[in-house]
Amino acid sequence: MEHMLVDVNNLSRSFGRRLALDRVNFHVAKGRVCGLVGANGAGKTTLIKHLLGLLRAQSGSVRVFDHDPVRDPVAVLSRIGYLSEERELPEWMRVDELMAYTQAFHPTWDTSYARQLLETFALDPSKKIKELSKGMRAQAGLVAAVAHRPELLILDEPSSGLDVVVRRDILDAIVRTVADDGRTVIFSSHLLDEVERMSDHVTMIHDGRVTLSGALDDLRRRYRRSRVRFREGFDHPPVLESALAMDGGGRMWSVVHSGPSEEFRLSVLTHGGEIVESRDATLEEIFLARAGRSRRQVEAA
Amino acid sequence: MTLPSPILAMLWENWRLTRVETAWKLALGIVAGLAALVVFAVIARGINPGDVAFDGEHPAAKAARGGGAVVALFLIVLPNVMGWWSIGNLNRVRPGFPFYLNYTSPIRTSVLVAVPMAYLAAVPAASYLASALLLRVTSDYQFPLVSVAAWIAAINLVHAPTNWPIRNTVVRLSGNLAVGVAWIRLASHRLTREGMPGWEWTRPIQWPTVFDFPLTDYALITAIAVAAFAISVVGVARQRRGDAATTAFSGAGFPETFVNRFRFPCPTSSATRAQVWFELKSRGLPLLANGVVIAIVNPLVFAVSVAVVPIRPLAAAVGMFSVLAILASAGHAFGIRVRHGRLYASAFEATQPYGTAPLAGLKVLVRSVCVLAALATVSVSVWASMSFIAVGKGYEPLQGYQPLRSWQGAIESAVATLTGYQQVALAVVASIGVGVLVASLASFAALVARHPRRLGIAGWLLLFHGLVLVPLVLTGYRGVGSQALWEFLLDVLVWTTRWIDAPAIVFATVYVSWRAFAERLLTVRAACGAVLICAAFGTAWLTMLRAAGVQLAAIRTADAVWLLSPMLLPITAVALAPWALSRIRHM
Repeated sequence: MEHMLVDVNNLSRSFGRRLALDRVNFHVAKGRVCGLVGANGAGKTTLIKHLLGLLRAQSGSVRVFDHDPVRDPVAVLSRIGYLSEERELPEWMRVDELMAYTQAFHPTWDTSYARQLLETFALDPSKKIKELSKGMRAQAGLVAAVAHRPELLILDEPSSGLDVVVRRDILDAIVRTVADDGRTVIFSSHLLDEVERMSDHVTMIHDGRVTLSGALDDLRRRYRRSRVRFREGFDHPPVLESALAMDGGGRMWSVVHSGPSEEFRLSVLTHGGEIVESRDATLEEIFLARAGRSRRQVEAA
Repeated sequence: MTLPSPILAMLWENWRLTRVETAWKLALGIVAGLAALVVFAVIARGINPGDVAFDGEHPAAKAARGGGAVVALFLIVLPNVMGWWSIGNLNRVRPGFPFYLNYTSPIRTSVLVAVPMAYLAAVPAASYLASALLLRVTSDYQFPLVSVAAWIAAINLVHAPTNWPIRNTVVRLSGNLAVGVAWIRLASHRLTREGMPGWEWTRPIQWPTVFDFPLTDYALITAIAVAAFAISVVGVARQRRGDAATTAFSGAGFPETFVNRFRFPCPTSSATRAQVWFELKSRGLPLLANGVVIAIVNPLVFAVSVAVVPIRPLAAAVGMFSVLAILASAGHAFGIRVRHGRLYASAFEATQPYGTAPLAGLKVLVRSVCVLAALATVSVSVWASMSFIAVGKGYEPLQGYQPLRSWQGAIESAVATLTGYQQVALAVVASIGVGVLVASLASFAALVARHPRRLGIAGWLLLFHGLVLVPLVLTGYRGVGSQALWEFLLDVLVWTTRWIDAPAIVFATVYVSWRAFAERLLTVRAACGAVLICAAFGTAWLTMLRAAGVQLAAIRTADAVWLLSPMLLPITAVALAPWALSRIRHM
């Protein structure tokens, strides 16, 4: 059996009356790059905060490196590199002070790697954090997160609000981290093309629940997008076997569906239609099918 | 909810932002005012142990009751002239217009400024009026109403032009200082005008005359309001257009700039050293820098005030409040931040691989050392500044300095009577006391961030506990009820306070220690250290009690337990600090 670096079981968490996580199971094996996707407020950051011990599990369990991050924060955090969505860094610090401060906590700190990254990002070590732009802050935070060669790198929306150049820099740094033997990365993102490019595993969270989880290639194979033409027009989406989401109107409909294609084809035939075109669904199409409005229409139908 | 006009929407926004603070200010003012009246009534009763009511009592007892009314007046005015914490938080207490989010609303700048200005001036005036009316009804003293309320409104109006128009901390501080001096001069002039010599305003019987300000005052208040509004509108309009420059001082301000002048590198050899460096740079040294500045300002102000008589009240106030200002800034050891009205711990600090208990210990230790150093610096400076007052000895009386001189004399003679051993005990009690204060304030802030509702309820319950003060004041001042009722209510108040305090300390110590051990926050080693600190504090505390002439064997058991209960405080603090930090680090 594969050894899990991150092992979350039946994790639930509510803030007041709002259930932010509902019996979430989340497992990440060593060496994987796991993309965490979901809409705003879906529960991605809440899950990440549990992994870091910033939130206590109200029910269920969280184990990282076989430790409880709340009871044993040192054992967990010393092996993790973390970049928060807000890039919250002490504004009064200079970049070189940030590096030195972080280095003191991590005996595995790689000074030459840190210097190399600073040079790549053209970050001035004598500048204060508060003098840096949003992108430069993200870069400084990333250097602090990766320069100690963490076994697990957690990035919460690492490229949100950043321009293309900075995004590329950050993704390159992640790729380099992954290239190191045995490194594991968990990163959440709204940018599905980015997740698709970087991850080998994807976990999709919607309304606090894990709606989909697995290897990206398996997911792509499991879901297809087909264009269907019917003899008669429909005002509402017709009920088709294994259809998850439908867009369109009248005689032409685009359908994202799972399960065996044959079952779907027979269902289309019984409604007097034919499949005009079919291909593997993209992650965005899968995401929209699992979390978007068109899914609710299908469910209503 | 539909608000029919932008003005109503802005008023609603102001109300939503300030309603909790308003309620607290009102309740605190009333409870503190009533408490002052009760305390002074108890003192008066000690002087004149007959009937609790006014009539036929000893003049000294009457004066004591009057003193209570003066203190009560001060206590109901103070919260209403301190400015708005909840509004300052909108832009993290930085100078500049706090409602900058409304810049993009289709509202004229004059309206944008006028609505909050009017609201933020009217509410404190109304709050004062309500407090003064209640104290009037309960105590029968003629607490001034409209005249003082109008000036309170004026003071709040002036907060706008001194804080909103320019985004520069130095200008803001200078403006506030200048306005503070002007207010003191104006108050002094109003309260000692012709026919009102000296300290007549401290005799409540004179209040109807003293606070009967001439009609020209209201014209002056109107002129102040117009000027304040005009200055604010011009400054805010510049900010709205983007013309107002932000200076280097507009960020963290002077302390950070000062600390950054002295560069010392972050040690990388160990996490503990790096954390000490972090605590010193981020929170410890800025506090010490403030202490140094106050220590420099004190003798300067005193030296100038000897020659410039009008600023003597300011010099005395700076001297008296500078020590308190350092103590008031003793909190914040855990670096809890405010964002959009929500308190939270920094994720950067919380995700460093460092144990919660050692982290809490380091934070409290560094902060305590810096608070002690700042206190020592400021105290030495205040004491040294007193030598300037001695200049006045040749041509007594040096007006305005009498209270300071008498306090100085009382403290010097009290310390002089202590033996060397007792002085060491006093230093131990003060040092560990500061540590306990720092840990308690930091823990309180953490628990407020973690459990705002529960602590809010506890606070309100405490204030409601103060409701018993109303019948006490009615009995003690107006003679409503009887001697028996007075004694019964006083016993209830003293009994509940004593029997709540000591068990609360014991219960909190036991509970928090148990939780800290259960959550593996405290180790046996740390607990042994806590016991040692507690033993040192306990020994010093007993020594100080003996020095104060307290004979524990001769007093009631309940009183003895109450007097000894603070000895547990170091253990409470040692367990409470990591437990509270853990609550906010792992929400």
